[in-house]
Amino acid sequence: MGREVSESCVDSLLTEMVSSYCDRFYANKPELAARRIEAIGFQVGHQLSERYTMERPRFSDNLEAIKFICKDFWSELFKKQIDNLKTNHKGTFVLQDNRFRWLARMSIDPSSEDGDLSQDNSAPVTENKAAQATSMHLYFPCGIIRGALSNLGIPCAVSADISSLPACSFVVRIKA
Amino acid sequence: MIVCVAVVGHQNNPLYIQSFTEADDALKLHHIVHCSLDVIDERVNNPKKSGPTLNETFLGLLYPTENYKVYGYLTNTKVKFIVVTTDLDVRDADVRNFFRKFHVAYVDAVSNPFHVPGKKITSRTFAERVSTIVKSFGLSSAG
Repeated sequence: MGREVSESCVDSLLTEMVSSYCDRFYANKPELAARRIEAIGFQVGHQLSERYTMERPRFSDNLEAIKFICKDFWSELFKKQIDNLKTNHKGTFVLQDNRFRWLARMSIDPSSEDGDLSQDNSAPVTENKAAQATSMHLYFPCGIIRGALSNLGIPCAVSADISSLPACSFVVRIKA
Repeated sequence: MIVCVAVVGHQNNPLYIQSFTEADDALKLHHIVHCSLDVIDERVNNPKKSGPTLNETFLGLLYPTENYKVYGYLTNTKVKFIVVTTDLDVRDADVRNFFRKFHVAYVDAVSNPFHVPGKKITSRTFAERVSTIVKSFGLSSAG
């Protein structure tokens, strides 16, 4: 049996990591912060995929590996499977999670919304800011997916989309 | 008795190789390991030959030489484990069991945050665990 870590500890660690990189180490360079966070995720995914594929036969094609990520890998990480998997059969896969655990306790800071409701552009700006802050938290899971897949011999690029808050989707583009 | 174990990365780069003999035959054992890489490639790329063992991590007996038997194992992450034994009547189950324990040790070693993926495994703990597993293999097949 593996040892378990308190979920809230992982949540706090992720939040703290994102805020450290965004507000302290690379305060003025969000792209660099994103790259660093993604790189940490990559290493984590790389190592986890090694462990979670231990007792299973080798994958014969990419789809099987993606299915493994959606089912077993996601269950190990988030105690649930990916809710929806779409593919165009040309190397692009969309993995949708309707209640992504690491976003479940996230909400948009209301203090910034109260300010000036009279101004027309305040709402979109806040929304934009919130979306940016949330997307920073998604570089880590993107890195995990990319790390796991590349360790399984599938080089790819992974990006994330937030539709409505606890739901999000990961887009995997396999490099030919 | 196991005389040599090796971990080889997905680009056929050696990650760990250790011989367990008194004699000075490390070079010969390394040569055997090197040759077995081709056999693994052949097995994996021509799956019809391996028949029912398709896509299984355990690759079975790679090839027998006069004095040794060479067994292989290929993980999902394309890392190869190779073991050279001097026992001529080894049970497959024993080797499978050995590889399973070895794989656990390997996973623990690469999960070390200070380990750089694709570089040689220098962990002393890993080396100790491997030699324990190697010793227990000798015991289980004798008893």
